[in-house]
Amino acid sequence: MKHFGTRIKPAFALFGLCLLLLSAPLVLTGQGSKAKSADSTVAVPDVQCVIGLEGIKPGIKGTASVYQGALTFVEGKNKVQIKIPEITDIFLGNESRQDISGLGGTAVKSAVPYGGGRILSLFSHEVEVMTVEYTDSNGGFHGAVLVFPAGQATAVKNALVAQGAKVTAHAPEPEAPKEQKP
Amino acid sequence: MKRFNGTAVSKGFRAVLCGASLLLVIPLLAPLPADAAPPQEAAHKLSASAVQVVRTQSSATLTIPEDFRVATYEHVILELEATKKFQKVYRDGDSRAESVPDLVIVTLVPATFTAGSQKEREVTTVKGATSIKINVRFTKKDGTVLLEQPIEGKVRFYGENLAATKDFAKKVAKLAKDNF
Repeated sequence: MKHFGTRIKPAFALFGLCLLLLSAPLVLTGQGSKAKSADSTVAVPDVQCVIGLEGIKPGIKGTASVYQGALTFVEGKNKVQIKIPEITDIFLGNESRQDISGLGGTAVKSAVPYGGGRILSLFSHEVEVMTVEYTDSNGGFHGAVLVFPAGQATAVKNALVAQGAKVTAHAPEPEAPKEQKP
Repeated sequence: MKRFNGTAVSKGFRAVLCGASLLLVIPLLAPLPADAAPPQEAAHKLSASAVQVVRTQSSATLTIPEDFRVATYEHVILELEATKKFQKVYRDGDSRAESVPDLVIVTLVPATFTAGSQKEREVTTVKGATSIKINVRFTKKDGTVLLEQPIEGKVRFYGENLAATKDFAKKVAKLAKDNF
């Protein structure tokens, strides 16, 4: 019996070791997913910075992301970060933008004879405008206005709030004047 | 035959001389144009080494979208910096501004706002203008009002609605440039 017992015990130990080795990746994976959910990453390309990000020219388009506890805007080599604890409020609004706009678009519209350029002005698309208010290390108030493709700003706001960004309750903003579809 | 005598020549010469001298004197007697009096104007100009912009106030009676309020504030800071009239333009809440003795505080109090519509503007060219009118006040630290003026930013034809805030800020910068 004693001999049998000594033979069984190493087998159990080996079995246990195998179980431990097999379960380790599962445990580690589980921890990884928990860490990922706490530091969720949202990246939205084609975001226009209207104004308010230091070092970024007004009107420039780039990628906005929420990563490692900050709202990051990247445009080429330029990168601006707003740390989540610095954020004091976030506002969302809906607007519409012309499909053909800017200096080139305006030139094209003007070039169409018999006022035909006005027909081009009828084509527009919905956008979301996100206003992020934050303070710098000296207590100075900053505000950044970012224009997102429709539906994208809400995801970014939710990610920021999930990571601890402050948001106050806002009175509903007046609806933008309804525009007739062509 | 009658010869030219000295008296006839001198009379003609005198008349020409008088006319020429009058032509020279009249412009000197005329009042100077307004832009040709810089010493007097310089005496009336205000001076400040730094300015602090207070964020656009909210009003219970007037609803302005937050992006307009923020864009107005940010554009005013950029445009005031561009004037190079002040050594430093401080933001609202910046603790460093407290130590500036001759600090001028710029307050923005919205008066009217018309949202407008870019599409309506570009299609009709007569409707859909966006405008924002704000009372701009330059005050000393003790609250003495140095300068106060309502300024309107507009987009009439082409451009996004928020462009009205840039137009407004440019006018504020011009006001600062003219008075500081």
